[in-house]
Amino acid sequence: MNIIDIGVWRLAAGYLLLAVPLGILLWLRLPLLGQTLTAVARMTLQLLFVGFYLQVIFDLNRLWLTGAWGLVMIGVANLSIARGCRLRPSKLAGGLFLALLGGTLVPLLFLVFVVLEGAAALDAQYLVPLCGMILGNCLQADIIGLRTFYESLRQNEKAYLLSLAQGATLKEALLPFARNACRAALAPTVAKMSTIGLVSLPGMMTGVILGGGNPVTAIKYQIAIMVAIFSGTALTVILAIHLTASNNFTAGGTLDKSLFQAESP
Amino acid sequence: MTLPAIDIDNLTVTVDVNPVFSGLCLRLPPGRKMTLVGRSGCGKSTLLRCLLGFVPFTHGSIHIFGQELTADSVWQLRTRMAYVAQEPEMTAGRVRDFLEHPFTFAGNRHLRNNLAEVPTLLDRLLLSQALLDKEISTLSGGEKQRIALLSALLLDRAILLLDEASSALDPAAKQAVIELLRARQALTVLSVSHDQEWMGCSDALFDLCDIHSGSAT
Repeated sequence: MNIIDIGVWRLAAGYLLLAVPLGILLWLRLPLLGQTLTAVARMTLQLLFVGFYLQVIFDLNRLWLTGAWGLVMIGVANLSIARGCRLRPSKLAGGLFLALLGGTLVPLLFLVFVVLEGAAALDAQYLVPLCGMILGNCLQADIIGLRTFYESLRQNEKAYLLSLAQGATLKEALLPFARNACRAALAPTVAKMSTIGLVSLPGMMTGVILGGGNPVTAIKYQIAIMVAIFSGTALTVILAIHLTASNNFTAGGTLDKSLFQAESP
Repeated sequence: MTLPAIDIDNLTVTVDVNPVFSGLCLRLPPGRKMTLVGRSGCGKSTLLRCLLGFVPFTHGSIHIFGQELTADSVWQLRTRMAYVAQEPEMTAGRVRDFLEHPFTFAGNRHLRNNLAEVPTLLDRLLLSQALLDKEISTLSGGEKQRIALLSALLLDRAILLLDEASSALDPAAKQAVIELLRARQALTVLSVSHDQEWMGCSDALFDLCDIHSGSAT
């Protein structure tokens, strides 16, 4: 691999670029300095930890270890989504975990066994980045989808109850809300696909090019991952709505308000 | 013996640990029109929502035409009732779409031919036929209330639950609504109202502040 490694001191020098945003924050007296420094410190520590951990996973290259890493990532994503939606994690946990698992695993396995060269692509080198990219997008889509779904139900509860009073089944009454949530959750990926390559080089493509691959190979990977991301986000959102709904409505069909966390003052 | 349309026995409802009412008994035979009265906050709207299974009760029982209201039966029992809220929640779109929407539900598809009654009902409720192609957001409060009532009547339910359904109506429109409901002799109506004229046209009044017994026999 003909990639240029970054020395510790050179990486440290890279932090000097932070002088620009920090200078702007100070100049505009924005109260974001502490938050920004914390975020930079967290980013560094998290990436260092992940870097060391991934090094071990890549060196050992065992499928069960890679799988365990994937499950940990899904577990963390599960909590992040609940927090991002401002919904109680305990009311989403099981269903959301399964939704993330399905939304990540189905496109990942399709990529590995249909698009790539089957068993060879089961190496941690492929599985970890592919899984991370699909899961990261599933996470964003689930936050938008679940928040839109449950918030719009809370805000339009009268319209929802009217549908029930008119004789709708739970599925029929929830359908317009699920439709809106899916539209909101998928819109960013659709927008990203329609402009990709025009305004910026996407992450997967950049990674392949930096790793020494030629641009044509990079484009093929990028196309495959974008399609996988799109199918993963669609699958995870519909599964997340379906699987969490069974836990958050009363037997009579009303929304269980304990799902919503109390707003902090 | 005819089963009561609504039979409420010793009902207690508590919302957020506050008792709304307790020991409520009410029996309404088929075809009767009863108005729930009483000061604000004594649970009139809550009772209607309770009949639809939207508010749980802690004690007692509700029977609709002899069938007990439970978490399982409520889905089927809702197809015997229609409900008009005080401020009907209508999604964006045309009036025509709003009226057609309930017939997209599997349980109502066999009633779709009832849409043929729309022109007649519009006339009876003093509404213009041109209203059908108007956006709901452009309707007045009184027009919205009558459209919501029309939608409920199209479902051809045996019981109609009305929550202040005449509050935004002018006298002529209110009279038209009363006459339309009185003409439907088989229809059981349980309404909430503070309107004297509306109360005067009811078969019975039920004061929820005095809830220990009540019937419209």
